[in-house]
Amino acid sequence: MEYRIAMNPPVQTLARRTPLVLAVLVATAILGFSAVSHLVTRLKANEKRIAYHAFEAGMAAYRGNDPGRALDDFRAALSYDRDNPTYQLGLARALRDTGRLDESEAYLVHLWEGSPQDSTINLALARLATRRHSVDDAIRYYHNAIYGVWPDDPDRNRRQARFELIDFLLEQKTLPQAQAELIALTQVLPPLPSAHLAVATRFRQAQDLSNALVQYEIALKLDYRDASALDGAAETAFQLGRYTTAEKYLQKAVELYPKNDPLRQQLESATLVLATDPFLHHLSDAERNRRLVSAVTHAGERLKTCAHQLQIALPTPAPANEPPALSPAPSTGDLPDLWIRWNAIRRDLRQLNTASSADLPDMLMDLVTQIEQQTAQRCGQPTGTDLALLLISRDREAADQ
Amino acid sequence: MSQAPVAPAENRTSRARIRGAEALAQRLARITFDTNFAEDRFFLILSVFIGVFSGLAVVCFRVAIDWSRIALMGPLPHPSAWRIVGAPTAVGLLVAVLVIHFFPQVRGSGVNQTKAALYIFNGYIPFRNAIGKFLCSALAIGSGQSLGPEDPSLQIGASLASALGRRLELSREKLRLLAPVGAAAGLAAAFNAPISAVLFVIEEVIGRWSAGILGSVVLSAISSVVVMRWFLGADALFRVPVTAFTHPSELIAYAVLGVAGAFAAVIFSKSIGFFRPRLRAMPRWTQYFQPALAGFLIGLIGWFGAPQVMGAGYDFIDQAMHDQFGWKFLAILAGLKIVATTLSFVTGTPGGMFAPTLFIGAMLGGAVGGVERHFFPLLTVSTGTYALVGMGVLFAAFLRAPMTSVFMVLEVSGNYSIIVPVIVANTVAYVISRSLQSVPIFDVLTRQDGLVLPSLEEQREEEILRVEDAMKPAPDLVLDAAAPLEDVSVRTRGLPDKSFLVLMSPSGWSVISRELLDRMMKEGKGALTLGSVLAIQRLPYLYPDLPLDAALRCVNVSEIIPVVNRADLRKLEGIVTRDDVLSRYQADSVAE
Repeated sequence: MEYRIAMNPPVQTLARRTPLVLAVLVATAILGFSAVSHLVTRLKANEKRIAYHAFEAGMAAYRGNDPGRALDDFRAALSYDRDNPTYQLGLARALRDTGRLDESEAYLVHLWEGSPQDSTINLALARLATRRHSVDDAIRYYHNAIYGVWPDDPDRNRRQARFELIDFLLEQKTLPQAQAELIALTQVLPPLPSAHLAVATRFRQAQDLSNALVQYEIALKLDYRDASALDGAAETAFQLGRYTTAEKYLQKAVELYPKNDPLRQQLESATLVLATDPFLHHLSDAERNRRLVSAVTHAGERLKTCAHQLQIALPTPAPANEPPALSPAPSTGDLPDLWIRWNAIRRDLRQLNTASSADLPDMLMDLVTQIEQQTAQRCGQPTGTDLALLLISRDREAADQ
Repeated sequence: MSQAPVAPAENRTSRARIRGAEALAQRLARITFDTNFAEDRFFLILSVFIGVFSGLAVVCFRVAIDWSRIALMGPLPHPSAWRIVGAPTAVGLLVAVLVIHFFPQVRGSGVNQTKAALYIFNGYIPFRNAIGKFLCSALAIGSGQSLGPEDPSLQIGASLASALGRRLELSREKLRLLAPVGAAAGLAAAFNAPISAVLFVIEEVIGRWSAGILGSVVLSAISSVVVMRWFLGADALFRVPVTAFTHPSELIAYAVLGVAGAFAAVIFSKSIGFFRPRLRAMPRWTQYFQPALAGFLIGLIGWFGAPQVMGAGYDFIDQAMHDQFGWKFLAILAGLKIVATTLSFVTGTPGGMFAPTLFIGAMLGGAVGGVERHFFPLLTVSTGTYALVGMGVLFAAFLRAPMTSVFMVLEVSGNYSIIVPVIVANTVAYVISRSLQSVPIFDVLTRQDGLVLPSLEEQREEEILRVEDAMKPAPDLVLDAAAPLEDVSVRTRGLPDKSFLVLMSPSGWSVISRELLDRMMKEGKGALTLGSVLAIQRLPYLYPDLPLDAALRCVNVSEIIPVVNRADLRKLEGIVTRDDVLSRYQADSVAE
């Protein structure tokens, strides 16, 4: 094969024409850039079109709960339009839903590095963190999403993101953080009963009953016939020991839903508590004493019935001429012991009207509390006045704590 | 003889104006450009333009591959069966016709053709090669033949550079160097990795370290990458997952990968080396059908459940890095890719081995990683890390470019924390591969084509003779230039030497022969000092670590050449004579 070998031109020749050569090279490069630019633009336009169709197919599959097929389509879309963040986000979501968390994270982190303020990406990362049960990451990304930039309807999306975060925190039993998020959420709620109801429900799950009741009451102000709000408010007030409030809401609920037996029973309990509690503020001394005597009497009856039910022989009470036991011996907690103490303290009831024993009402109610709790434990949940006494006992204990 | 017509006054005026304008233009040119541009400086600037043009060509090449893939295989992720089998078969037929009738020099990868241009054809690569390589490779890769776009890009870049150099009538020396400059530009743009491209061209195309061309190669590689990124973006080829090297004990796992990679590389290399000459030796009419048959078989592989082996396969490397495939399927893919690439390559289909090598390495790495994690669950290294290291392993063991393999992994991953595993695995693979197959794949192909080209690996293995290998101990008597001749005569009397070394003042060495000394004494010049009668020109001297070739250049100057200490030029380490040098070379050739 014959090859043409270049001649060795004198350097002067090259030097003389260097400016011309450089000018031609620059011109050729500019022309080349223009031509290639046109070519690449056409190719990219074509590929973007193909990518869009593949993405649409992927979205259809994703909405149809077929993330596996969506995965293939998103991949195809990205193979034609590699830098498209929407397609990457779609692929990352599909990967997450098919359990490929590492790869999903790789895509999302890459996207996040490109636009850390994008709430959609942060939300996807937050959801990925919830899949990994990573509380710190979830909080960080949900907060980024809440305070970030949303392409449309930012208020609704932000509320939705915070609801998701709260649900995740409740699921993870991180109640103080959940309560804090709920309080923040109450500031941005729209005037809709459903929104306040949703927050109230979560407050109850976060064991923040006071705030839950507030939210139920706001929901009721917006729609006083909302059964869920009424029910929730009554239930929450009942759990808080605010029986007056509970009775008010329960009465409204029963009026609205007269055939609802649980509501009616709860109303009866609330009414009984209000009729039985000797420590209500507005009571006169006589009424308080009457209620104390009644409570002690009911507790004794409950004790006897329970012991009989359990076939436990109760000891004979001490003679009546023994001095009253204002400072009873430490309780062992079993029924015979409670019976001896009940009999001993029953004799003190006559001192209720005297000023000599200021601590007697509390002592009486302490014994009633012990009897009701012990019998509830041994003989099952009481009804009627005993149930009311048990509820009063619990509220007293909660107040003490 | 007719008299020239007298020019009218207007014409004379316009000529004068033209001459004035020319003078002005020349003056401007002198101001704008240094008209004393040496060719060397012009060559550096030209390297940048070669990079730009190669970058543009590679962008067009990538566009052409994409277009042909969409046209032939369809835009959907899962092409129909007739496309999977039919496209590579039909394109195989077309490519065979093009190669046989129009572009006979575009078979295979193009690395060897570029190397041959540098060493045999004075840098001449026909421009037709660039066109043929562009067309045929784009069609072949787009249709699903198991080949990559990097080596063709290298050849396209080299062809462009060669054509430009010829057009500019560069000197033969510069024209010869243009091929690797263009090659580096083409490869850098194709792989988006300028450092790896430069190293690959030095290791595989130039075949020796040459500082003279390094600047041009680097300039062209960088400018081509800039152009490529201008149009196609700066993203790396793969989204490499987070990789880390956490504990030294993991190195054992990587060494195992090196062993597996070496065996895979040897199988791959031997398959190509075995089948290629046999298929080339078959009757000419079969050459028309060989690429089509290869395409058909590759299509069948794709149809039967492994379409990943079709084409360059970068998307699937990416997926393998992200745990998309189980280790069994990864191992199958590695094996099938060896088969498919061997089929494509040995049938002479134009296309590169760069991408298939990376594919096989990534799949093998992922598979080995999966097996290791299966049996040793405490290993925490990700599949992506194994796949990444596996790419380097195959590169080192198959292409036998160990330095490129290390830098390629670093450039692709952008993660320097895995450099130790990469070096360990690559070294293991390289050493085993060399021991199992002494001749690297590119040299095998070159020899099959009847050419003998230098290789860096041979150069590395070459034992270099040094001055100290031929040096004799320093003589007992070294004369001082300040000594009188009569004293020298007394001291040298009875000694068998014909010449004596003289230490000159304040520095340097000289030599005086016994004959000259005797003559001076007879002429009654005994009172003169030795230095005053010796030639002004000093004797050349050598250092012990210099190559023996350096001694060859001096031994004709004097009978004895001093070998001195680098730290103290007055300290004599030994001497060499012409006989010593020749004897050492003779002994070396007898030993070989």
